[in-house]
Amino acid sequence: MILAVLLIAVQVAAQDPRLDRLDPDTRAQVTAVVDSARLAGLPAEPLIQRALEGATKGAPGPRIVTAVRRLSVDLGTARAALGDGASVPELEAGVAALRAGATPQVLANLHSVRRPPLTMALSVLADLVASGVPADSAAVAVLALAPKARDADLVEFRRAVERDIALGAPPAAATSIRVNAGADVLNAAGPPPPGPALPRRP
Amino acid sequence: MFEQEDDIVERMIQQLRRPVAVDPALDARVLQAITAPRPSQRRVWPWLAAAAMLGAVMIWRPWSRGSGADRPDTLQFVLVAPQANSVSLVGDFNDWDPKRSPMRTANGIWAAVVQLAPGRYRYAFLVNGVEWRADPGAPAARDDEFGTPSSVVTVGGRGS
Repeated sequence: MILAVLLIAVQVAAQDPRLDRLDPDTRAQVTAVVDSARLAGLPAEPLIQRALEGATKGAPGPRIVTAVRRLSVDLGTARAALGDGASVPELEAGVAALRAGATPQVLANLHSVRRPPLTMALSVLADLVASGVPADSAAVAVLALAPKARDADLVEFRRAVERDIALGAPPAAATSIRVNAGADVLNAAGPPPPGPALPRRP
Repeated sequence: MFEQEDDIVERMIQQLRRPVAVDPALDARVLQAITAPRPSQRRVWPWLAAAAMLGAVMIWRPWSRGSGADRPDTLQFVLVAPQANSVSLVGDFNDWDPKRSPMRTANGIWAAVVQLAPGRYRYAFLVNGVEWRADPGAPAARDDEFGTPSSVVTVGGRGS
C-alpha cells in the first residue's frame, strides 16, 4: 500500500506540468506513454507537444492518447532506420516521411548517402507527398539530390515542384523533370547573397 | 728616421694609456640594450600572435558548428483575415498555447515573428479563439489526427 502510494507520488512528481491541460485520465495515460518512450530512449518532447495540440484543439481524450501512442511507435521506427545518433528534429521529420509513405529503407538509404542533419531532406520528402507527388517518386527524387544538395537547394526544389503542380503539371512528371534538371541548377546556384537576416515566410 | 717613428709610437702609447672618464651607468645601459627586444620584434610578435589566433579560429570555425546544430532562424507567420478580431499562432514551438504568440494586425493582415531552432514544427492559426486555420502558404500537415487543419514548417540547419 505504502509502496503504491509512493509510486503514484513519484509518477505525479515526474509528470510534465504542461500536461495539466489534459483531464486526469488522459494525462495519466499520456504520461505512461511518455515514460515508456523515455525508457526506450525516445524523445518525450514530440509526444508532449502532440498531446498539447490535441488538448488545445479540444480533441477527446482517447483520440489524444491514440495519437501519442502512434507517434511513439513511429518515433521508434524512425530511430531504427536513422540510427541511435539521430537528433530529435531528424526523428520527427523521419516520422513525417514515414507517414507520407516512405519506407524505413528509404530513411536508411538517406542516412547512408547524406551527412547529418537529415531534417530538411526528410521534411522535403514528406512535403512533396503532401503536394500530391507519389511517395516513391518523392523518395527517388530526394535520394537523388541528397548527396550534394544543400538544405536550401532542397527547399527550392520542393518549391519548384509545387509551382509546376500549381500550374497544372502532373506531380510525378514535375518531380522527375526537376530532378533531372536539378544537378545543373544546383551547380549553377551559388550561395545566397550576404545581407541582414530578415524574417522569412514558412 | 727610426727615432722619429719611435717618438710617434711612444706618444700614441701615452695617449692610449691616458685614463678616460667613463659614465658609471654605461654597463647598465649596455645590458638593457642587449636584453630588451628590438623595436622590430615588438611590432612583429603581436601581429604573428593575432595571425595565429585568426588561423586557429578559421580552422575551428565555431560559427559553422553553431549554425549546423541549433542556430535559430527568424520566421514571420502571416494570415490575411480582415474579419478577424483576434488571431493567435499556436504550434509545437509554443506548447500550443494561444496566449504565447498573439498576432498583430495591420489592415486585416495578421503577423507574428518567432525564432525557431532547426527542426520540423506543426502549427496553425486560431482565429477569434474558436476557428482553426492552416497556413495557406505552407505545406499542410498530413497526419492531422484531431480533425482540424495544421501546417508544417521546417527550419534547416545547413545552408538553408
